[in-house]
Amino acid sequence: MNMDSTTALAADAQLIKAIHGGDERALSQLYRLHWPMVSHFVLQNSGSEDDARDVYQEGVMVFYEKVREGSLELSCQIKTYLYAVCRRLWLKRLTTKSRLHGVRLLDEEEYGPYLNTGAEDDVQEAEERDRRFATMSEALTHLGEPCRSLLEGFYLLDKSMLDLTAEHGYTNADTAKTQKYKCLTRLKKLFFASYKEA
Amino acid sequence: MQTEADYYALFEAYQRGELAAGARASLEARLGAEPRLHQLYTEYVELMGTLAAYGERRRTRHTIAGLHEAMLAAEAEPVVETASPLTHSVNPMLRISRTERRLREFWSGHRATMGVAASVAVLAVFSTLLGLEAYRTAHTPQNGVRELRREVAQIVRSQKALIRQVNTKVLGTTESVAPVRDSKYSGTGFALTADGYLVTSAHVIKGADSLLVESRDHHRYHAERVYADTKHDLAILRIKDRNFKPFSKLPYTFKSGQADLGERVYTLGYPREDVVYGEGALSARSGYDGDTAFYQVSIPLNPGNSGGPLLDGQGNLIGVVSSRQDDVLGAAFATKSSYLVRLVDSLKNKQSAQPYRMPRANQLAGAARSQQVKRLQEFVFVVKVYE
Repeated sequence: MNMDSTTALAADAQLIKAIHGGDERALSQLYRLHWPMVSHFVLQNSGSEDDARDVYQEGVMVFYEKVREGSLELSCQIKTYLYAVCRRLWLKRLTTKSRLHGVRLLDEEEYGPYLNTGAEDDVQEAEERDRRFATMSEALTHLGEPCRSLLEGFYLLDKSMLDLTAEHGYTNADTAKTQKYKCLTRLKKLFFASYKEA
Repeated sequence: MQTEADYYALFEAYQRGELAAGARASLEARLGAEPRLHQLYTEYVELMGTLAAYGERRRTRHTIAGLHEAMLAAEAEPVVETASPLTHSVNPMLRISRTERRLREFWSGHRATMGVAASVAVLAVFSTLLGLEAYRTAHTPQNGVRELRREVAQIVRSQKALIRQVNTKVLGTTESVAPVRDSKYSGTGFALTADGYLVTSAHVIKGADSLLVESRDHHRYHAERVYADTKHDLAILRIKDRNFKPFSKLPYTFKSGQADLGERVYTLGYPREDVVYGEGALSARSGYDGDTAFYQVSIPLNPGNSGGPLLDGQGNLIGVVSSRQDDVLGAAFATKSSYLVRLVDSLKNKQSAQPYRMPRANQLAGAARSQQVKRLQEFVFVVKVYE
């Protein structure tokens, strides 16, 4: 292993540590660092600027969530990992979009061994999670008002029970609380019904 | 009896550690003892976990989208700053217009497809052009000379078929009318001997499967090829029908010498269903491109005339109609009769078993042209070629 990649790995480790700690500036730095690579790759392979942005954000999301969970097992540089993830994502989109079965991608030799990065598994896992979130989002939509904004307000936006009571015009916090639990049971039914059947 | 919502309240308090020690212990005990409650609890945990992760995901997505905007803003800013002391941009690469960027994206995305499409187009154009050219050269008769055999038009055929259909339906003559296959080409032929030898052009019977000879009074005979000389465009046929009765004596003779320039000549032929008379003069003693085996005659001739007899004023057969030149007005060609005589002589030597009794006496000399034609037309036939 040469000096170059050793220092690169060290820098990567530092970056991952910072991101794991919730440092937004580190994430921003990472984002800016690898954007040109992915954008170039997607543009090279019959994608547009918007496609590139979508794919890259998706890819960074996979990486970020793995880091936050602390379950990332990196056997290469972040650069290579991101390349592999985005490549995988773009390939998927291309095949569904064009119905061409033998899509061939133009690869950059520089990011070489993108095959054994574990990215494949991570993308799969992220897809599973995406499905779960999509179901959740759908369940929330089906829940209707005021349940939806009540639950979103309390659990997602961290509003206090008092604020919510005032916002929805309940007589006191206890009524709001009771209502919230009722909503929760309905959400549970909706969520599991469509999640299990899918 | 507690409702599900009540349990949810309980679970939430439990998870947040807000329950008093006694209540917590009793709940834990119940969870261990009651499977239904345990399942309710598991579902609650999963639901809350997913909900929390979903919220996290929404925040992350928002953050990352923000990062992209920030990055674009950061990219754009320095350009403005560095540009301010100067009137023009320092780095031309940064000054790509929106349209141009679109074009570049389009180009980089589709250049392979466009390349393939362009090469296919070029290939198609050239192969069509070359193919057409090759087809034309293959189907143009050599150097502007058109052989005069007639391609029987599709329309005539379908018309005949229609008439046949009407006949069978209206007249009910189903059995008597056998379906007759129609010929592909037709030409003219004439009698060589009274016992069933005929002469026509070699190109008329080119590629023939079977040959049918039809006289003016609609007698049909099957014929077979005896010999074909493509170089001089001559062919000899023989009628092979058993019930064929020999012709009456042939009224014309075959001239073995050369005919003279300016001689009045005429021909009979079947360029259409009826026999057609054509008249002119012998205008040259060589054919196309100086070919001495042919005469040039100034008779208007049409496809179907091929193989017709060419006679002079005294009723001597002097040639066999062969072709015309398309780019010269009134130039038609006929094989000289001397070649025909020579051909028959050589066949006589080769196949002594089959005698060729050529007519010796000319009965047409001195008769008026219309009388000559009347006698002659019995010996001129349509040659139908089936492929």
